[in-house]
Amino acid sequence: MTRAHRAPRRRIQLSLALLLALVAGCAPASPPAARTAASEARYFGDVTPPADDVLRFNLGAEPEIYDPSFAAGQPDGRVCRILFEGLTREDPQTLAPRPGQAYRWEVSPDGLTYTFHLRPGIRWSDGTPVTADDFRWSWLRVLKPENAARYSGLLAPIRNAVAYNQREIPDSNAVGIVARDDSTLIVTLGEPTAYFLYLTQFYTYLPVPRQAIARHGDRWTRPGNIVSNGAFTLRQWRQNNRFEFAKNPRYWDAAHVRLAGMVAYPIDDLNTSTNLYKAGVIDWNPSGYVPSQFIPYMRDYRDFRHGSYQGVYYYSINVTRPPLDNVWVRRALNLAVDRDAIANDLLKGSREPWGNMTPTGYPGYEHPPGYRYDPAKARECLAKAGYPDGRGFRKISILFNTSEDHRRIAEAIQAMWKNTLHIQVELTNQEWGSFMGAVTGLQYDVARRSWIGDYLDPNTFLSCWITGDGNNRSGWSSRRYDGLIRAAAREVDPARRFGILREAEALLLEDGPTLPVYHYSTNELVKPYVRGIYQTALDIHPLTYVWIDRDWRSREAAHGPAAAAGPERERVAGGPAGEAGAADRSR
Amino acid sequence: MSIGIAPPAHVLEPDPAGPRPDIGLAGTRPSSLWSDAWRRLRRNRAAVAGAAFLAWVSFTAGFAPWLPGMQDPTAQNLALGAAPPSLAHWFGTDELGRDAFARVIYGGRISLLVGVVATLVSLLIGVTWGATAGYRGGRLDDFMMRVVDILYSLPYIFLVILLLVFFSRSIVMLFVALGLVQWLTMARIVRGQVLSLKQQTFVEAARALGADDARIIFRHIVPNTLGPVIVYTTLTVPAVILQEAFLSFLGLGVQPPAASWGTLVSDGARLLALFPWLVIFPGIALSLTLLCFNFLGDGLRDALDPQDRRDVA
Amino acid sequence: MVTFLVRRLLLMVPTLWAIATLAFFLVRGAPGGPFQSEKEIPASVKAQLMHKYGLDQPLHVQYLRFLSSAARLDFGPSYKFPSRQVREIIAEALPVSLELGGWALLLSIVVGVPIGIFAAVRQNTAGDFAAMGIALAGVSIPNFVLGPVLVLGFSLSLFLFPPALWEGPQSRVLPVVTLATAYVAYIARLTRAGMLEVLRQDFTRTARAKGLSENVVVFKHALKLGILPVVSYIGPAAARVMMGSIVVETIFSVPGMGRYLVNAAFNRDYTLVLGEVLFYAALLMALNLLVDVAYTWLDPRVELA
Repeated sequence: MTRAHRAPRRRIQLSLALLLALVAGCAPASPPAARTAASEARYFGDVTPPADDVLRFNLGAEPEIYDPSFAAGQPDGRVCRILFEGLTREDPQTLAPRPGQAYRWEVSPDGLTYTFHLRPGIRWSDGTPVTADDFRWSWLRVLKPENAARYSGLLAPIRNAVAYNQREIPDSNAVGIVARDDSTLIVTLGEPTAYFLYLTQFYTYLPVPRQAIARHGDRWTRPGNIVSNGAFTLRQWRQNNRFEFAKNPRYWDAAHVRLAGMVAYPIDDLNTSTNLYKAGVIDWNPSGYVPSQFIPYMRDYRDFRHGSYQGVYYYSINVTRPPLDNVWVRRALNLAVDRDAIANDLLKGSREPWGNMTPTGYPGYEHPPGYRYDPAKARECLAKAGYPDGRGFRKISILFNTSEDHRRIAEAIQAMWKNTLHIQVELTNQEWGSFMGAVTGLQYDVARRSWIGDYLDPNTFLSCWITGDGNNRSGWSSRRYDGLIRAAAREVDPARRFGILREAEALLLEDGPTLPVYHYSTNELVKPYVRGIYQTALDIHPLTYVWIDRDWRSREAAHGPAAAAGPERERVAGGPAGEAGAADRSR
Repeated sequence: MSIGIAPPAHVLEPDPAGPRPDIGLAGTRPSSLWSDAWRRLRRNRAAVAGAAFLAWVSFTAGFAPWLPGMQDPTAQNLALGAAPPSLAHWFGTDELGRDAFARVIYGGRISLLVGVVATLVSLLIGVTWGATAGYRGGRLDDFMMRVVDILYSLPYIFLVILLLVFFSRSIVMLFVALGLVQWLTMARIVRGQVLSLKQQTFVEAARALGADDARIIFRHIVPNTLGPVIVYTTLTVPAVILQEAFLSFLGLGVQPPAASWGTLVSDGARLLALFPWLVIFPGIALSLTLLCFNFLGDGLRDALDPQDRRDVA
Repeated sequence: MVTFLVRRLLLMVPTLWAIATLAFFLVRGAPGGPFQSEKEIPASVKAQLMHKYGLDQPLHVQYLRFLSSAARLDFGPSYKFPSRQVREIIAEALPVSLELGGWALLLSIVVGVPIGIFAAVRQNTAGDFAAMGIALAGVSIPNFVLGPVLVLGFSLSLFLFPPALWEGPQSRVLPVVTLATAYVAYIARLTRAGMLEVLRQDFTRTARAKGLSENVVVFKHALKLGILPVVSYIGPAAARVMMGSIVVETIFSVPGMGRYLVNAAFNRDYTLVLGEVLFYAALLMALNLLVDVAYTWLDPRVELA
């Protein structure tokens, strides 16, 4: 054989050898942690504190618009909260409303009039004083019909707000917001709203600097133009790249702000974010950015925090499409889902199995019985609907937006329905735009949805199911349900109100178009040298008093890891500890 | 991520060194060309090995459901979750507890199907387009090639996303979308070939005999372009398979519970640190198959025209 | 030469127009609007938003407005990020993609051409096949596998490079290497084929007969011509590479054009999609032009049509 003929075989051998070598190099370098009861503290990745007092973290997706009046999703909200401060601000641990720009307030006995007193001497970062009229002007800006603010609905409790926004009343002075003088703001509500103070912390209620908007128009949010009244100013913003914040020396409590600045990176890939945390590039990996597959292995790490989050992951059933219009079919579908298997096995315990449509965390609210896995009963219900053993049941499809987790859950449920009910199910995934279009247009059979609480009250999960509500998106309508929700809104006594809401939820579960799957939880990673970030039920994290603790090791050795995590300054008590906080996530 | 690029037009134009050897009467194939090629191919061990491997893969994929030891690739076992390779599951299991070995074999079915069908789609469109343009020449040729140029300038991913989003996410749509991207280069190659063949005597003879254009194109010219077409087709299949993998990475590939190698690999890559077996096995399958197609394609190119000056990436 | 250039530049205009039209109608035809979120926007608000962006106008009016502003390079504000102009977004993302693509292309040439030359010179030996084997491996392993593997090895275990982001010189390494790998294969292959062809030619034999050393023959005479296939490949490859590889940009969180384009398509961000598509087309045509010009310089036998 000549050399030329032997060569091709060598070529194959060499190529294969190279390939195998490359593949062998794929062995994981860091195997998952084994469970131990060691007292040795263990942390995920690099724990060297940064040399500067700068907190670096993942902002999530790139914010669409962080002008507070028009901000939409969670990343927008985070930026707004860093730069601006409202009348009240959230307690970093409980999210209860604490004095912010207003240091005290009074509520009239009928619950309709709130009088806020602003702190003396508060200023914008350009030196201009912050006045009550700034708040008035900002809120009216949200309501102005031409501005088409997406969250104008949050100002609905204010008297005449909706009417003005819908152009029923042309005069903005009719809206119940009055600035009596530079430091007093009087807000009149249309109905007593128990959670109003929580709303005043929400980013739609944050003030905007009139003077900057007058001067720069739409470009007022650019670094250099922007003016803020919060603890930080915006120093730099590079698209899809980074946000850099610097401490605001004119902030009224600047003396107690210990960070010199912050850098936020908009990273939407979960693996990337977690990798950056491990490499020590970022100090905080917020909830939702740890891949669910990693979570069982994370539990051994001290810097991993797991807690309850007020959100429910559910499937919405389109009742305009037979046979899903049959209530027995919907019950069968609900009963055939093994939520425990999904949450504990598939999602490795990173979420709670949940059969209700409102989450936990409402003291005094007792949930009605939720769905449990009951295959026999499921089959019964299906038979009662007229499809014994799935005969004659057409193929239905589960629609979800493109994501690993959604797909796995959909595949699991598809198999469950097939095995228990003997029905055919197909899966359709679409990217977010088409997906939302399909859901809104009722072009689906079963669709994956989720809802995160806007404020700490069960109403935020139940009011969206009334007839014709924009967020209903299922075609379901029940007079009785509508009546219950309206009655609850008018009810003043809290215990009775909860009773009515409970009845509403029971009705929703029994007859409604929903299929709850799991209860959200927060899963985040915070470096041990970062102080002042706490796990909260709405995943809101005021960052004003966060600080980098370079002595964290000695402090931990002395007091143990749980201690020294509290804020360093005394908080001023004030304001009723009502319900409701605010968060928004549109995905 | 499409890397198949065609050389600019003047490289594809009639070879200044002369047309390829093709002595024979109109419509008949000189027996020496193909048997020569076949002999050359047989001697190329890499190509032969590649072809053998591909044959084996195709056999396994085609007869997958009836192979001994094959488990149901959709049977879930949530309690088990992702387990490393064992006697019960040779390639381990994925997060839903499905047997990874079965998933890889069935994945091969889908990947090969997508690769072959999409390539055939592009073949059909490309050959027709290029042959017509090249043969007719003149204004029609200008117009048709300008269309090709324009489409070439669109970013591929944009086209595919819009197609998949505008219509449905079905596998048929996938064939069409992928095929629609590949036909451009095919058209250019065929056109180049046709341009050089157009002047040959056998074409004139056919015309003298009264054959109409369509007959000339399809019965006489196209068969003579087969050489480069075969080569390019063999090299397109792996490109398409890779593109489908890329689409799966974006979530636009085949929909669950069906999974191609692309789906398996892109999913597995995300979990590399935790469950490496989920990417290693489908990755090896994918890479080996792509390699073999490339070996085969190179071998065919060498065999069919060892003096070929045109190199198509 | 001048007439050639002028003609080509003029030809770009109708092509761009055709692309713009095609893209415009494709994008408008896709379902879903640009304003979607889980929380419903009241109809009145949505109507106002549509009016603000001129989406409530009849289609042909929108089309004409689009053409006239596109001619001025004004693509309006992005739908997804309304406080930003498309022009600005592209202006910020483009340098990043150019840098990433440029380094990747440079690396792939620096690695690929020598491999190709080596393989051509040692044709059919073990060296040839080793070299081509490496090259082929680069093409058979998808980016989204190679990327995480590199990150796992060099970033999370060895802490040599950051696993993502685009801050500082170390962060360039992994994305560039990942992106370059596939192109190395093609360039190596093309170089090898080109060199093989040239080395067989008469003038090469003449050079050798004249007594020139092999090195001079290869590098001084053969390379210039052998590299032609690579040159013709680089044009469109450069355009693609520089428009960003979506995979690399996603895995490494690089703020480049590729990521924007795909997300824009998903978000129905009409203005951004159209801006990027036109930009890409123009870039591609410009690069093709450059390539054709470079061709004449390298191969005196070729005349510009």
